[in-house]
Amino acid sequence: MNADKKIIQIATDVLVIGGGTAGVAAALEVAGQGYKVVLTSKEDKVAQEAKDGAVADLTAKAEANANIEIMTNTVAADVKGVPGKFEVTLKTGDAAVEKTFGAIVVATGLTTTVLNDAYGLEMGPKVVSQSELEAMLAEGKLEAGKTVAFLVGFGQEGNPLVMQRVLDSLTALTKVADTDAYVFVGDIKLAADGLDALYAQARQEGVIYFKTKETPQVTVGDAMTISILDPVLRQRVEVQPDLVVVEEAILADEDNAALAVPLEIEADNNGFLQPDNVHYFPVKSTRLGIYLAGASRDLLSFEQGLEDAGNVALEVKKFLGDGNLEVPSNTAFVDVDKCTVCLTCYRCCPHGAIYWDSRAIIAESACQGCGICASECPNDAIQLGDYADDAMAQAVKDGQGSAGKSPWIVAFCCKNSGLEAMKMAKAFGYRVPAGLQAIEVPCAGKIDMDYVMDAFVQGADGVMLLTCHNGNCKSDKGALYASWRAEEIKKMLAAVGMPEDRLVCASLANNMGRTFSEISVELERSIKKAGS
Amino acid sequence: MTDKPKKALVIGGGIAGLTAAWELAQSQVDVELVEKSPFLGGHSISYCCKATDECVKCGACSVDKMLAQVVSEPRINVTLGAAVAKVDKGGKFTASLDVAPAYIDAEKCDNCGECFQEFRNTGAVVRGYSKNNTPLYAICADAAKDVDAAKLAGVCPKGAINLDAKATKKKINADTVVVATGFTPFDATKKPTYGYGVRDNVITGMELEALIRQKGQVVRPTDLNPPAKTAFIQCVGSRDARLGNLWCSQVCCAYGLRMARKIKYANPEAEVKVFYMDIQSIGKNFPAFYTQCKEELGFVRNIPVDVYPEEEGRMRLSYADEDTGERKDEIFDLLVLSIGITPGEDNAQVAELFSLDQDQDGFLVEKGEGVFLAGTAAGPKNIPASMAQAGFAASEALKYIGVTK
Repeated sequence: MNADKKIIQIATDVLVIGGGTAGVAAALEVAGQGYKVVLTSKEDKVAQEAKDGAVADLTAKAEANANIEIMTNTVAADVKGVPGKFEVTLKTGDAAVEKTFGAIVVATGLTTTVLNDAYGLEMGPKVVSQSELEAMLAEGKLEAGKTVAFLVGFGQEGNPLVMQRVLDSLTALTKVADTDAYVFVGDIKLAADGLDALYAQARQEGVIYFKTKETPQVTVGDAMTISILDPVLRQRVEVQPDLVVVEEAILADEDNAALAVPLEIEADNNGFLQPDNVHYFPVKSTRLGIYLAGASRDLLSFEQGLEDAGNVALEVKKFLGDGNLEVPSNTAFVDVDKCTVCLTCYRCCPHGAIYWDSRAIIAESACQGCGICASECPNDAIQLGDYADDAMAQAVKDGQGSAGKSPWIVAFCCKNSGLEAMKMAKAFGYRVPAGLQAIEVPCAGKIDMDYVMDAFVQGADGVMLLTCHNGNCKSDKGALYASWRAEEIKKMLAAVGMPEDRLVCASLANNMGRTFSEISVELERSIKKAGS
Repeated sequence: MTDKPKKALVIGGGIAGLTAAWELAQSQVDVELVEKSPFLGGHSISYCCKATDECVKCGACSVDKMLAQVVSEPRINVTLGAAVAKVDKGGKFTASLDVAPAYIDAEKCDNCGECFQEFRNTGAVVRGYSKNNTPLYAICADAAKDVDAAKLAGVCPKGAINLDAKATKKKINADTVVVATGFTPFDATKKPTYGYGVRDNVITGMELEALIRQKGQVVRPTDLNPPAKTAFIQCVGSRDARLGNLWCSQVCCAYGLRMARKIKYANPEAEVKVFYMDIQSIGKNFPAFYTQCKEELGFVRNIPVDVYPEEEGRMRLSYADEDTGERKDEIFDLLVLSIGITPGEDNAQVAELFSLDQDQDGFLVEKGEGVFLAGTAAGPKNIPASMAQAGFAASEALKYIGVTK
């Protein structure tokens, strides 16, 4: 197969969208791999957030790097093309330029919003947001001798990033003379380095925390009052603060949703651009050639953004290499004569690999070989490398009669999960039916309904569809397609009077050898029972 | 003439070390991966899938996947059962290793498992957790002293067992080092009132992980029946001023709640209660996950102190009721202690060997000079975070050796 290895030339310039710290760091790391980088910021400068001087240093390095072109006040207005050759329209004011990039890194930032509505509060001089307090502390504007109360964790579930800001403010507050600080909090979110120590330290300095389920009642007027039922003292507690600090939610950049459309990736319900799927961690998107750094993918800290930058550079290098991309043997291929341009494939492709030009075309640089399109194509116009329909049919035939006296069970196994689970079961000596024939598929989304019906026609006593768990499919929706198809097949089996339980569709992880054994043995048992 | 490939030394074969090794190898660096135990995969290779009808993003499957990638990567050379005795640095690093005897010849062993079947009850043969471990079995020298040596040597149909194998020494030269020596799980006997090590149905969260991985379900150690009532006690060894452990381990709410839900999913009749101080947000869609948890599980914001024995291996917990403040007693079939992450027991020695610092808690801190840290050696972390940091460590190491700028 290596003889007809196919190489295609791709572009190697890289676009980094977002001039925050993660974006600047990603630009530097990618440039360090030897690629030319265009770094765009929608603001008039890059990396404004300051943290121990590290950011200014990064920005200076990026500005001095000959391989990095910084474009401020610039947005990616449109993205066309395919991985390895993205045609991007960059707009700076009214001026637009088109540039070609091999890969795109999205490093958009975070925004905040104050959650005063959750407490029925109007913002004002005595009721300030976390950001406003931070500004007051930075400018030394908080007078001595005040009582300050924080409200956090009632307007949102919260997270360590929110709590870090509160704890940092408390540390600063304890340095202002004669200040009393109270924190009204739901769950204290401390699952980040150093936070529990900060929390304990503030407590030692005299900060009082009230942890409660009930949202504190705040009355505002000349004298403000916060009242809660103290769960420890079991009585109502009242605090009269001079200043109330209202929590802020930290949210994904509001531009993400609009950016996702031309990039052909999806924003999740919180507006982040990475699916919640371990196969994409840390920095991959559903589409090859598009990588995510820092807050574009999740609520991440400054340090995690820098880590992402290093990981992005590794992924960019793996994809772009020296600009000669070797096409994997298992990309999908469209038969021009059969294609009616119904575009089912375009709609079901989870990897943004399909476009059309009088027929559907699968971009070789973008296809990840899951085969969902091949199984969904109503005209069977798409075939997938080693997993072509005739090869799959032959694989079923090859197993015919191999079972001997045991029931013949054809198990279509996703190579990422079910197949690994079977190998684990065998390695650990867990029982696997003697008549079980495993057929590897690249993704459960490649298990065509025809394969299953064909297996029954050939005489299989039972068929298994073994998929990843929903949310763990490497091709996002392959497991879902498989489960939908299984439902349809069961209806067909019922129509011809065949017991539905001859078809098992189950989700497994690669480490579930024991469960593989149990499921397959149970199917064998029910077949034997029916036959006896 | 092409440049000779650079070489990296990775210390520790857990998820962080595996990831760092694999990423370095992808950048055409030769890697020497050194692991002190007989198996690759670290603690996390014993963890289970916690999916209900859908994935809950624990990352346990990623460890098996990464392990499979590493063992099939020709640029990575693995040395198992090896301890670093000495490191010299004069431009390059030279590590002197003490390598434990290879009683099972990896070339001959085909993982048939006959040795394990025959000797599992003696402890003389132990088994790894992943099929990607080759060999999947190891001889435990101490326990092997108590069994018939000739019988043990003869049990292998391939003749792969050689009890006369000797310890060896090995020297490795490398241009850079990634230290990924991991963590030590909190020793639950340090909280003696829970009765860990005394009562069989008190287990740690990590033991529950391995149990589910091996059995496919949760069963009580004493009678192998699914427990009707299970309690999880959170923050065992974490956020504990008396122990001096002033850190959140960042993983226990995640594994605790996920396994609690897995128990409930497998057996909807089962009752599960979680005793906690503060529930930490885990994963991307935590509010939705937590809402489901609250529907399915009981939550008590109180950490019980005492555990009393009851009949049939049950345990009674006493705690203050959240609403009334009064003492409440409740009996459970299984008690799971959500033990935390503590600094690796060898950290002082590792710091000394590789010129690293330790923070106030005892976790390792980088000091520059070509040695990079990955994973829980540097502080509490979950699997995805360990992998992310390992990738970053690899990218920093590549810069240090001049593969990238």
